[in-house]
Amino acid sequence: MTQQLLPTDPTLVPPATRSGDSRQGDQHGKVRRRPAAARGKRGAAASPAFVAGCVMLGLVLLLAAGGALLPGYDPFGQDLSAAMRKPLTDPDHLLGTDSLGRDMLSRLSLASFVTLGIALAVVILNAVIGTGLGMAAGYFGGRLDSAVTTLADVNLAMPVVLLLIAVAAVTGPSATLTIATLGLTYWVGYARVSRNLARSLRNRDFVLAPLTQGGGHGWVIRKHILPNVFSQTLIIAATDIATIILIESSLEYLGLGVQPPVPSWGSMIFEGQKYLGTNPWLAVLPGIVMFLTVAGAQFVSQRFTAEGTTGALLRKGRTA
Amino acid sequence: MPQYLIKRIGQAVFTLFCVLTFAFVLGRATGKPAGLLLPDSATPAEVDALNGALGFNEPLHVQYLTFLANVLRGDFGTSYRQRESALALIAERLPATFELAFWSFLLGLLLAVLAATAIQLTGSRTLRSLFIWGGSLRHSVPDFFFALLAGLLFSVALGMLPSLGRTSPASLVLPVLTIATGQFVLYVRLIDSALSDQAGQDYVRTAFSKGQSRARVLFSHMLPNSVLPVLTMAGLNLGSLLGGTVVVEAVFAWPGLGQVLTEAVSQRDFPIVQAGLLVVALIFVTVNLAVDLIAAKIDPRVSLA
Repeated sequence: MTQQLLPTDPTLVPPATRSGDSRQGDQHGKVRRRPAAARGKRGAAASPAFVAGCVMLGLVLLLAAGGALLPGYDPFGQDLSAAMRKPLTDPDHLLGTDSLGRDMLSRLSLASFVTLGIALAVVILNAVIGTGLGMAAGYFGGRLDSAVTTLADVNLAMPVVLLLIAVAAVTGPSATLTIATLGLTYWVGYARVSRNLARSLRNRDFVLAPLTQGGGHGWVIRKHILPNVFSQTLIIAATDIATIILIESSLEYLGLGVQPPVPSWGSMIFEGQKYLGTNPWLAVLPGIVMFLTVAGAQFVSQRFTAEGTTGALLRKGRTA
Repeated sequence: MPQYLIKRIGQAVFTLFCVLTFAFVLGRATGKPAGLLLPDSATPAEVDALNGALGFNEPLHVQYLTFLANVLRGDFGTSYRQRESALALIAERLPATFELAFWSFLLGLLLAVLAATAIQLTGSRTLRSLFIWGGSLRHSVPDFFFALLAGLLFSVALGMLPSLGRTSPASLVLPVLTIATGQFVLYVRLIDSALSDQAGQDYVRTAFSKGQSRARVLFSHMLPNSVLPVLTMAGLNLGSLLGGTVVVEAVFAWPGLGQVLTEAVSQRDFPIVQAGLLVVALIFVTVNLAVDLIAAKIDPRVSLA
């Protein structure tokens, strides 16, 4: 359960490589991505890790989408006469059944859909709040800047998991609560990066020119700041989603997330834990899906961070 | 220095104040507790009388001030279920959690220092990839699932270690191993990048040109200079460490803070949750303040930033 400390969660970011491309803003201030083949020597061709990550994520997405696309499997239908089947022993239940005879494949599918959906909602909320606050702070500076910085520091200094537990104690646990609390607490990384970027862009010619010609601040932010900040936001989001999934699942494991009968990876592992001796697959299968997702997301996002969140920022600072 | 000191202390107090206010708001949002405390047969008049006696019928700002005053006096409320001081119930469980967090932190850091110095001493890129990828893969497995697998292997299959409770020193092994290996990659990355930064510095080149050995340069020059970022990160990471401890405690039935808090949530025993939140926030803020002050003491440049 990692608190956000740096622009990107340090646990999930590979060490910055200082080699790489020399992206620069063109005269419109928009960073133009050169085609992959033309970028730096390293990381140009798809690395094995990147391909492996894509395959892993693809499998999970297929699983999550499969439940909705393939009718006939019911994640809630109980059949006690067919309970506790092991995987690949029953043609009707490919991955076996749980203690109530519910089909594991369709439960895993729905759980993936639910868990990924929540994680995605959290990351989007984080990105919107963080980038919005950060851009405003960096662009306008002054009191707003120090207010946002203080807010970020205070946010970092709070034990988030305990906050979530406290809120859950009051409202009762639910998916909405998970989204709201995680969505409101893990935005600091986005805010820091977009604040620094906006600040360095603030006095660039392509920002000043429209202002002298009577352009409004909102317009300038939308047209000139946001496009430049956006790629960094995406990079942070890509690395963050793994962290969010880990935290979310821990909460679900503690019973503080989605409530039964709707399955999630964390709650499936918790339920399966009781039958470790007789049918360990009940806990292991959701664990494997979760590992595929988190490791896959890490492999894929490494491609972006290897180009260097830090490196790109340093270069930006220098060309400014 | 004094200005920096004042700023940091002010920030710490402000953070604590925010947590306190948040806890108060949450506490009032739970509604008046008398309904929970009294048996179902209680009349509305009795419920109202108890709420009044507990101070819940006062105006909100009076309640808030009373709450702040009580907290300052060390009174964090009384558990609804166990009729005991919530603070005492939390304090009773803290040592177990500290034990777990402390050993996990120590082991994780020790492994990471060993790995990072091994990388620097050999200068091997393969070794670095091995440690960092291994650590990342471990980090991709959530702690609670790793704990489950470790329990399955070492206690169910091999019968070597206890997997439940806190009965002997051996009970510590699996939980500590789980948390320490989960945190390992964070520290390895940090120490490795701090050491790599140092490796490019002039003083390191000078030391090498004087003919000093790699080991000597590493241990007596580079390592002491890399302490600062590690210290700061370790302080900030305390929150995640305690959070991780809460989850791992649940798997191993470790009688610590995590257990008492999750129980309190399911029983809607808010004062305990509130006391837990406040105590952890206090520890967290104090440790981070201490870390920042130590950092400023070690390296005076910090307070100028």
